[in-house]
Amino acid sequence: MNLEKEQIIVETLLQKAPYAEGKVRRERRIEFCIPPDRIRDFLVLLKENNFESMMQITAVDWLKDGEIELVYQMWSYTHAIHAFVKTRIPRDVDKARVPSVRDIYPAAETYERDVHEFYKVTFEGNDKLEMPWILEDEDREAGVSHRKDFDMLGYVKKKYRLLDRFEEDKENYVI
Amino acid sequence: MVDWRLYEPLINFARKRSMWIVSFCTGCGGIEMPPLMTSRYDLERFGMMPNPAPRMADLFLITGYVTPKTLKRIIITYEMQPDPKYVLAHGSCPLNGGIYWDAYNAIKHLDKYIPVDVAIAGCMPRPEAVMDGIKKMMELIETGKADGWKRYKENYEYYKKNQDELFGEGWRERTARRWIPWLMNKRKEIGGGEQ
Repeated sequence: MNLEKEQIIVETLLQKAPYAEGKVRRERRIEFCIPPDRIRDFLVLLKENNFESMMQITAVDWLKDGEIELVYQMWSYTHAIHAFVKTRIPRDVDKARVPSVRDIYPAAETYERDVHEFYKVTFEGNDKLEMPWILEDEDREAGVSHRKDFDMLGYVKKKYRLLDRFEEDKENYVI
Repeated sequence: MVDWRLYEPLINFARKRSMWIVSFCTGCGGIEMPPLMTSRYDLERFGMMPNPAPRMADLFLITGYVTPKTLKRIIITYEMQPDPKYVLAHGSCPLNGGIYWDAYNAIKHLDKYIPVDVAIAGCMPRPEAVMDGIKKMMELIETGKADGWKRYKENYEYYKKNQDELFGEGWRERTARRWIPWLMNKRKEIGGGEQ
């Protein structure tokens, strides 16, 4: 496997951004870890270096570490390389804040709304966060989220008035 | 004065052979509709066809899981249909939630909210199974047993209570008004508000 192209891109980017850590994962995949306050600088740098498209913003809830990991997935049409830009922010609702990148990549607006709705991360500078998205108003008021400490099954039973006959044993579902 | 009850067998026969379907597909069963409608299974030989207007439709196919958001639209569409109207539920999701039994956004029992005449089991039912259900529906119409529309009228309090429990009182108006503030903001953004 020839990873020269990927190596060169990672090295150029790391030279310009000394705060970042980066490595080549495999062919056509590169990976960076960024402190959350430098995310805008780094994405501007990526855009200057021919990463034209933002594909997705994903969130991973690390319950034991008390952190939420945001993964910005960027795609370069020029190099045909997929870059993961990872950043970790605290998990508490009032501290989970990160600057918005909507003005750099306009597509980020949608993904930021998505992450805000399901992981309660606030993107400072995006004024459309409170716009209705996937959840219904009553779900939103009840605090439905995909964070791991939300009791989803309990909420479902309450909302749909299900009979309480589910065993909550993950190995052995009894319906 | 003509006693129309005399003609009921004839009317039922005509109804059975000319069911028009609301073009409203939910969930994964929508993809089973194209083979049903096109040359392989060809539903039009039974006098059925999809119809964009619920005001002219008889049969409502619930093709798969129903989210609360869709259920609001389903109830409104169902009430727009003229009598007699029939509901055919596909798959296990409208029956008891199916594989979405623990999902916050799929309703578990469709027959708590609107009456269901025929339910087909399976996940997802093949077009043959859907045709079997349609055959059953035709039998029920001919014998006058497909009376979901009568049950909806008679037990409207029960259905209304369940709908209100799920969505909250006054959900029709709230849903209709939900996007208005955001649309007004949009109008300001593009400069429509100043004129």
